[in-house]
Amino acid sequence: MNNFHNVNNINAMANQQAMANRVQVAIYNWQNGSVQDLINFLSRHSRVSVREPRIDGNRVIGYVSSKSDAETLKKFNGMRFAGNNLKIEILGGAEDESPTVKLLKGFLYRRYDPQNKMLNLGSLHTDVELQQKGLFSTMTTQSKMFPALMKLASKEPQIIVESVNLSDNNLRDINGITTLAQSFPNLKNLCLANNQISRYKSMEAWKNKFKNLRELLMTNNPVTNERTYRSEMLRIFPKLVMLDNVVVRDAQKMDSIFSFPFKIQPFFFENDQLGQSSTDFVSNFLNLWDTDRSQLLQLYTPQSQFSMSSDSSVPPISVKNSDQTPAFGYYLSHSRNITKISTESSIQQKLATGPEAISEIFNSIPMSKHHLQDEPDEYSMESFTYGQVNGFTITLHGFFDETAKPNVTSNKGRPRRFNHGSNSSADKKLGKKSFDRTWVIVPMGNSVVIASDLLTIRPYVTPAWVKPKTIVQQPQSQSQPQPQQIAQQNGMLNMPQAPIMGNAPPAIDSVQLAPTLQLPPDVRARLSSIQLELLNKLHLQTKLNAEYTYMLAEQSGWSYDIAIKGFQSSLNNIPREAYIQ
Amino acid sequence: MNQGSGNQSSILQTFVKKVLAHLDENNPQALNGFLTLFNGSGNCKIIMNATPIAQPMMFLQMWQEQVVQSQHNLTSMDYHIIPGSGSIICNIGCKVRFDESGRDKRGQDAIVTNTGMPNTNVNARPVWGSYHGVSIQVIVDDRVLRNDLNGVISGFNYNMVYKPEDSLISIQ
Repeated sequence: MNNFHNVNNINAMANQQAMANRVQVAIYNWQNGSVQDLINFLSRHSRVSVREPRIDGNRVIGYVSSKSDAETLKKFNGMRFAGNNLKIEILGGAEDESPTVKLLKGFLYRRYDPQNKMLNLGSLHTDVELQQKGLFSTMTTQSKMFPALMKLASKEPQIIVESVNLSDNNLRDINGITTLAQSFPNLKNLCLANNQISRYKSMEAWKNKFKNLRELLMTNNPVTNERTYRSEMLRIFPKLVMLDNVVVRDAQKMDSIFSFPFKIQPFFFENDQLGQSSTDFVSNFLNLWDTDRSQLLQLYTPQSQFSMSSDSSVPPISVKNSDQTPAFGYYLSHSRNITKISTESSIQQKLATGPEAISEIFNSIPMSKHHLQDEPDEYSMESFTYGQVNGFTITLHGFFDETAKPNVTSNKGRPRRFNHGSNSSADKKLGKKSFDRTWVIVPMGNSVVIASDLLTIRPYVTPAWVKPKTIVQQPQSQSQPQPQQIAQQNGMLNMPQAPIMGNAPPAIDSVQLAPTLQLPPDVRARLSSIQLELLNKLHLQTKLNAEYTYMLAEQSGWSYDIAIKGFQSSLNNIPREAYIQ
Repeated sequence: MNQGSGNQSSILQTFVKKVLAHLDENNPQALNGFLTLFNGSGNCKIIMNATPIAQPMMFLQMWQEQVVQSQHNLTSMDYHIIPGSGSIICNIGCKVRFDESGRDKRGQDAIVTNTGMPNTNVNARPVWGSYHGVSIQVIVDDRVLRNDLNGVISGFNYNMVYKPEDSLISIQ
């Protein structure tokens, strides 16, 4: 674990230390100001900075770097902020933890190698500290230790684990460590060498659990002598490539089997012009759809058609954020899902032709709010020419909030209350829905006509094209998410690991600066912790030396945003000696 | 005009089910039958997960060779006959699951064998994963209503709209 040979590691280690010591606090009665104002206010008065603040109901929750900081902050309980008396509570974190938890956490950070994303839990019984505390003295304490360690590790956002080493632990089976699959479902490498695992039956518990496990080491376990050992391991771990240092699957072939050749993209436009006009059309259309649907009717001619179909099939529970109890009460009576309707006449009835009929259905579906502007990632669009109509089609996939009941409730058909088992309030609750909508558009002079408008409403889900958020973005403070993203896009984010893991929290009492950022003590003393942190961040981002980092920060009025912009615009004029040598 | 005959909906529904069945077909021999449905004049738009594919043949070959066995399940469908255009636009919702046994359509897996020959088991049963959600738009000539299926598809827009986290198949 001697990782002190390079700068990045020192920083990472310091970070880990700081993360392990941090304390969670809650602040109430802050609502008359913004969260940022609150954090600035507290830091001005108490000299304690609250990190990663987030709103949780009526309170703001954040972290301070140590117990003593938390105590300092607590002294400001009752202080007036924006006309209200703040209430500050210490929620816990380090000081609420039992000594055992503290010990285990400390142990975890010692055994975690951030460079290789490896958690080394090998030969735990030889660990001096654990031994002293008697944690591995008996079999029973040992069997409790593993799950506890893994649970703790999976709760620490700073610990990203791709590899786990559990060698030399006298394990007879995996019963004590099965929770590994819950803690690290995306584990890539696992070492269980030098244990006493004798039967693979116990490993059955991991079947279909480690879907990304590429490498498994089981050498020096009796089980490896079993006749069917290899085939059983291949069965239990579908993506295993290396077993005991031997290639068991052709990685290339395996990857091609498990990867869909048509990778998902959020947008397709046949040409740039179509892209621009589709985007304009969709944002204008949805804007009016959400505010005043009647204004849209001028886009429909007497021959234009609109119909809506509800697809109430519930997505599997393993689809992220999927609505498992969707309510389609407002849509069903108009739904033209022809897989669900048996008579041709009612299929024809549910097709609206011409503005008047279209307006009728528009008015009988709930009012909505789309989030094309504020959550563009949730939408996907394809647009291509449609020769037969001398126009084009636009298909939009996304979601909307149902904000209010429809203007007109339809009286067609039997009243709901005569249907057995219908529960009006549950059927008609308002919520989020996902949808697919296809417009067939024909340009006419300076305007367009909608020839066809097909809408599918379905239960809300996180869409397939949304990429999982990486840990890189997660711990960012709310105050400055922009510059980092911009920097990332510009390919500038060639930073050491530490700052990526969240805006480096200060060690015990003051801000932990990168070792290459050497500030004269008198300068340092003058600066607030927020300023120091900003310098540190700028320094890491720009690779400017201390003097120039300070100049840049000062010239930009200690605004990170402005500083980064200034830096980027004057890149060509910055002398070589301005950078870390 | 859009009133049409009494059973146009069922004809279109049957047609769409036929297309989905073609997608789920394992037998490479059936590829040609599928190909005849697409407009071959070079003016056929095919879009898969927002990526355009130039030729129907290319698309079908990729689907046949690079996608494991699939099973599509139609969950919603609606359509408009666009007057004067001789064409129909269908809006389709379905779910699809894939064979996650680790074998491709020919029954070959990736396991390294002693003989150096790949393992092939054509008769092995598929191991279905969880369902993905799919939204499909198809533009077809209205000849399809008169039972003329030759080259009727001129637009095919296939997009996955949700994915299960527990699937082994990666679409990103």
